[in-house]
Amino acid sequence: MANSKLTPIRESFAKRYRARFGHLPWFKRYEYLIPLSIIILLIGLLLLPPLGKPAPLQWLWIGVFLILLILWVVGILTDIEKPRWIRAIAAISFVFVLGFFFYRYSGAQWDKLTTNFFNLSVMEGLWGDLGQGLLMTLKVALVSMCISLALGLVIAILRSLNNPILNVFLIIYIDFFRAIPLIVLVVFVFYALPFLGIELDPYISAVVAVSLSYAAYVAEVIRAGIESIYRGQVEASRALGLSSMQTMRLVILPQAVRVVIPPTTGLMVGLLKDTALTTIIGLPELLYKGIQNTIWQSNPTPLVAAAVLYILVLLPLTRFSGYLETRSKKWVKTAR
Amino acid sequence: MGEDRALMIEVINLHKYFKDHHVLKGLNQKVYKSEVVAMIGPSGAGKSTFLRCLNRLEEPSLGKILIEGTDITATRTDINKVRTEIGMVFQSFNLFPHLTALQNIKLAPINVRRMSEKDAEERGRQLLKKVGLQEKANAYPDQLSGGQQQRVAIARALAMQPHMIFFDEPTSALDPEMIREVLDVMDNLAKEGMTMLVVSHEIGFIREAATRILVLADGCIIEEGTPNEVLKHPQHSRTQDFLSKIV
Repeated sequence: MANSKLTPIRESFAKRYRARFGHLPWFKRYEYLIPLSIIILLIGLLLLPPLGKPAPLQWLWIGVFLILLILWVVGILTDIEKPRWIRAIAAISFVFVLGFFFYRYSGAQWDKLTTNFFNLSVMEGLWGDLGQGLLMTLKVALVSMCISLALGLVIAILRSLNNPILNVFLIIYIDFFRAIPLIVLVVFVFYALPFLGIELDPYISAVVAVSLSYAAYVAEVIRAGIESIYRGQVEASRALGLSSMQTMRLVILPQAVRVVIPPTTGLMVGLLKDTALTTIIGLPELLYKGIQNTIWQSNPTPLVAAAVLYILVLLPLTRFSGYLETRSKKWVKTAR
Repeated sequence: MGEDRALMIEVINLHKYFKDHHVLKGLNQKVYKSEVVAMIGPSGAGKSTFLRCLNRLEEPSLGKILIEGTDITATRTDINKVRTEIGMVFQSFNLFPHLTALQNIKLAPINVRRMSEKDAEERGRQLLKKVGLQEKANAYPDQLSGGQQQRVAIARALAMQPHMIFFDEPTSALDPEMIREVLDVMDNLAKEGMTMLVVSHEIGFIREAATRILVLADGCIIEEGTPNEVLKHPQHSRTQDFLSKIV
């Protein structure tokens, strides 16, 4: 009696399972994936060699483990019907296992790496000095950003006038400053200009070189933004009696700015990073401080610390640029 | 007809070339106050180019255009000043997408006519009411349907209190059910005595509102007359051919 009650439930479970997953190829089904996970777990727990360089035979187990893991991950990740969390676990655990294997079997000297590059005791008393460098970097970057944005905007507007003679000069400017390596420009401004009677201190030289160079990039981005505005906008504006300058100010630029903000933010990220090149003329900015302290301490940890500071400053900026991009995409589409 | 009325537009021997392509081949035309002139003809006939030459959105290659007695082809003429007297409505609306409907209308009166913000606002709201969109004052163009956008565009043109309005295929980019609302606005304008030049193939509207039809083909005016004459008894074989295709 009890049996007859159980059987229909079992049948219906098998039926339901087949109806739900029967269309999947075998390597995506749970009756394959679940035993495979168990085998992988068992190998991982019992048969993997300990820390250090494994013996040749032990490499075999690592290989078998990895191959099975790849089959398991492929089975899960190729099936978009699998719940999100299962796919997330598969992807994360795969990356994690690879990293763990590298850490455990590569034979790397982790302790030496740490004492050389991530040695916090070296950094004692140096954070203030690096902070000074960071302030100088931010000062050069912010001033250069303002100048290059203003200058780039002026150049872009002048170019949009399509005056053939003016354009020759503007194109020469843009091409020259985009083509010359910034580090050469920095050296030239600081070391060569004095022979022409222009003596600038390192700070001013850095600002001049970075601003001139980035104004050329900004000009090209803004010009592309201006040109992306539909021709009918200009015609409608001019037909209402607005002058060409009013059209630029009231109709074109407000629309172009929205197109141009994301790539320009990207340029500004590059600008801040490129201020590091002014190290070569002895400007005491972040990279300079990093290198100097590296030499004094005979340990490259200060350089790593400088890199971390760059990243901490720039990460919000790059995220912000990504945010603006997704936001303006919607807007740009409707502008047509 | 209409010789006693003020002469608004006089075109004398107008030619237009795009590189080697001869688009307009010596047009002569006079338009008087309160006339509604409809231009029809096959595509590529030069209707739009003709219209756009009249406010110099296209530069005329040769010939003379007098707008209310001012020669706009003369180099010393301030074209921006002349354009304030000419409203223009485009096929693709060309509203400014970064401004609301009301701001679109206010822009030119404030910046060209130097009207005060308050007066422009009031005028803008009146015009929106006139085109039946008073509740859409703060909507952006992408929140409006095609027909609504075109009505805002007409209001924008009217805000400058122009002496004449040019319509360049105002309904060809619209879905059929939206054409009526735009034509109604144009109909009312015609009844108020606005001087209008209309490039359109809305034969119903032309029959109702137009005082004169110009038929263009290959850069020439091949026929002209009242709607009755041209639509019912076309003389030129190309007009007959064209009308048989669109009616």
